[in-house]
Amino acid sequence: MSAHRIMFWQIEYTWLFYLLSAIAVLLFLIGAGSHIWVWKKNSKSMSLKGVGHALNKMCIDIITGRRLIRGDMAAGLMHFLIFWGFFLLFIGTCVLVAHEHLFEFLEGARYLWFSVLMEIGGISLLVGIIWGLVRRYLQRVPRLERRAEDAILPLWFVLMVLSGFFLEGARLAANSPQWADWSFVGNWIAGLIPAAAAERLYPSFWWVHALLCLGFISVVCYSKMFHILSAPASIFFSSASPVLPPSIEDETGRLDVAEAVFYDGCMRCGRCVAACPSSGAGEAYAPRDFVQWARKQMWQTQFPLNDIRLWNRGDYEGTNESMWYCTTCRACLEVCPVYGAAFEAVAKERRQAVEKGTLVPTILNQTLEKLFRYDNPWESSKKQRGAWAEGLDIADLTKRGAVTDLCYFVGCTTSFDDRARSIAHSFTKILQLTGVNFGILGKKEPCCGDIARRVGEFGLFEEQKEKCKTLFDQYGITEIATSSPHCYHTLANDYPDSSFRARHYTMVLKELLKNKKLSFEKPLNVTVTYHDPCYLGRHNRIFNEPRDVIRAIPGLRLVEMEHSRENSLCCGGGGGRMWQDLKGERKMSEVRLEEAEATGAQILITACPMCLIMMEDARKAAGTREGFRVMDLNELLLEALENK
Amino acid sequence: MTELNIIICVKQIPDPEAPLSDVSIDAENLEVVVDAPQVISPFDENALEAAIQLKEELDGKVTVLSMGKKLSDSVLRKALAAGADELILLEDNGFEKLDSHSTATVLAAAIKKIGSFDLVLAGRQAGDWDSGQVGLILGEMLGLPCISLAREITVEDGSVIVKKTVPEGYERVKAKLPALITVSNEVGELRYISRTRMLKMMRGGDIPAWTAEEIGVSDDAIEKMNIASLTTPPDMTRDCQFLEGSPDQQAAALVDVFVSLR
Repeated sequence: MSAHRIMFWQIEYTWLFYLLSAIAVLLFLIGAGSHIWVWKKNSKSMSLKGVGHALNKMCIDIITGRRLIRGDMAAGLMHFLIFWGFFLLFIGTCVLVAHEHLFEFLEGARYLWFSVLMEIGGISLLVGIIWGLVRRYLQRVPRLERRAEDAILPLWFVLMVLSGFFLEGARLAANSPQWADWSFVGNWIAGLIPAAAAERLYPSFWWVHALLCLGFISVVCYSKMFHILSAPASIFFSSASPVLPPSIEDETGRLDVAEAVFYDGCMRCGRCVAACPSSGAGEAYAPRDFVQWARKQMWQTQFPLNDIRLWNRGDYEGTNESMWYCTTCRACLEVCPVYGAAFEAVAKERRQAVEKGTLVPTILNQTLEKLFRYDNPWESSKKQRGAWAEGLDIADLTKRGAVTDLCYFVGCTTSFDDRARSIAHSFTKILQLTGVNFGILGKKEPCCGDIARRVGEFGLFEEQKEKCKTLFDQYGITEIATSSPHCYHTLANDYPDSSFRARHYTMVLKELLKNKKLSFEKPLNVTVTYHDPCYLGRHNRIFNEPRDVIRAIPGLRLVEMEHSRENSLCCGGGGGRMWQDLKGERKMSEVRLEEAEATGAQILITACPMCLIMMEDARKAAGTREGFRVMDLNELLLEALENK
Repeated sequence: MTELNIIICVKQIPDPEAPLSDVSIDAENLEVVVDAPQVISPFDENALEAAIQLKEELDGKVTVLSMGKKLSDSVLRKALAAGADELILLEDNGFEKLDSHSTATVLAAAIKKIGSFDLVLAGRQAGDWDSGQVGLILGEMLGLPCISLAREITVEDGSVIVKKTVPEGYERVKAKLPALITVSNEVGELRYISRTRMLKMMRGGDIPAWTAEEIGVSDDAIEKMNIASLTTPPDMTRDCQFLEGSPDQQAAALVDVFVSLR
């Protein structure tokens, strides 16, 4: 007799099983349908592009779990075991259904292979789940939460797997077929069950297992387990229908489909919390919680029953008030397994807060007023904007007859802040030394709109954008170099259909280096470390240009900090945080400064006026090793060039 | 009483928080030259916020009055964008640089023309001259109970209860409505008015403007502020010297400094 299994062996009332199955599947479909309905209700019209690529990315992410393994090997392997265990068992169950109702094929060698794979699936799932429980409840990994469903669902899994193995064991103990060895786990359990009791116990085991599994199918869409569908969907939409930059015409609160799907795709893994520099400094903001709040908001506005979830229904009240902490540094998106941008959810909420008016904190309220009145956030006179350039023989592009190859867009902070002005001084000196024909806009230079855009004042941003575009057109400006990564990001990404090319100064320096315009006479024997500004690195992937320029300086040694490149920590000045008075346990800038000092470097180099101010202030406030300096890349480069 | 009818007086002034480099003094023409945008005086903005909060709580109507020779729509419509129901400008060639008494005369005439009201609010003082007189004189002219320096305003049973700032803290003062209250900054900053909201308001209908004649104020009733003299503040630049050396040397150096100042 070839190896096989008798379906529904010893089971009565199979009609009841089919009835319950139908109910479970119906609940599943209703749940899944509700999600799709809510996503559609919340989203603007959806346009898909690059569907093939998105599907490809989604499949690779799911099958390999690469996004989960990256950055957290233990969590990645744990998930890999759970995913593949679950997937094998799911496919196995489907195969059994096909075998029973379509055509019989599970016999002989095929059946034996099937048995082995099911054993592996069960073991893999069990090990993964127990590992997960250990991580959450014994190791107490800080980024993991311990809410009700975080315990209920894994324990449910454990019971499902164990009941499955026991039912198999009972069957093998009662029948002891000669191929029992292939079901190695079940066979081992069979040894624990007396043969006489096995046949009597089997139906009970079977029903327990069936009810657990059907129950599980029923709750998938009503718990965080829904991520088995929404996470792949989020990966797909993040690529096929990326979140568009919000436009002024948008109704506030309206989502892009990728955002709506992401909110439900988030299963609170907390990788964003571990990466978030604000959370890391002990501030009252956690990207995960904010996304959960946004998810709840989405359901509350569209779903008649308030929320579809069975657990955590009452939580996250008032979480949105933490929105002003976010520096929009993008660290959360960098690590999110489903490519969700918590900081964009924050931006959406900020926009609503700004329109409403009452939730804008006092200092930010004042800053926005000043920004509108004086076109800079530093409470400085428009007339003083070009004051730093007095006596430096720099062409003013707004004066008659001035034509240059490059417009240096100095920016508000570099124009007005005493410390940051040195960026303008050193950069223009380097340009002069290397013979670049450049000019500035003097007192007519406007604000690019970065702050307004980041804090959600879209009306003001739109006005500032128009002003900039008009000015650039008026003076025929096509090439722009900025001091600040924030201006660079705004001009390069938030000005669609622009007639100019914007670059950050590090890109200009890299070009000068490539064209052999930078020559050094003497080596500079120092060890430096480089802090990636968020809007240069993470947002625009400019990681190598500044490092290449630094490494070009002879004698200099560049060492990296614990967090660098895409994992860099924020200085705490972006996203409008520079103009707010929010406190945590520590300052983000001090956390970063400590990392810089720990490298043993003598100089911390950065490439952003905000980072420069934040890190310099941290150095003064916290105190550092004697002689430790914070410098802008331009300052360092000029020192090297003038080192004769 | 359920609904509350509030009249609030606001003044348009050059931004008192303008960068110092944009402010100069023309001593000859007795004029402070401020090269800065016009704004609603900050304490008046506080009063506006208080009025809107009362309206949100109790329902009613907020009417904004502003007086001047040339008033700017784009500045004062902010009050409407913030939630006020009506804006009335009191515009006349004669309404320039009026003294506090005359300003109150004009406002009182306008308020009498409006007729019915429960509360009149004003900022504790204007952000340009900081005299702090108009509100109180206005209360006297209208024959209203008057409470100054309000930090919290609650209305119940036809009365208003005000927490009034005093040097030691605050006093709770109760008055029968109608009453006049001058508002201090402790009531809170005016909510942020987004540019989109402001622009929407700019496209709104015409704003009524009443002249001196229309409110029945004759030329004799008002007087201009008389500035006797105006001087630039003394140069406040400080010179800081660090005395180095041992305590004895520092003490000796300090003595030298004092001696040289004698």
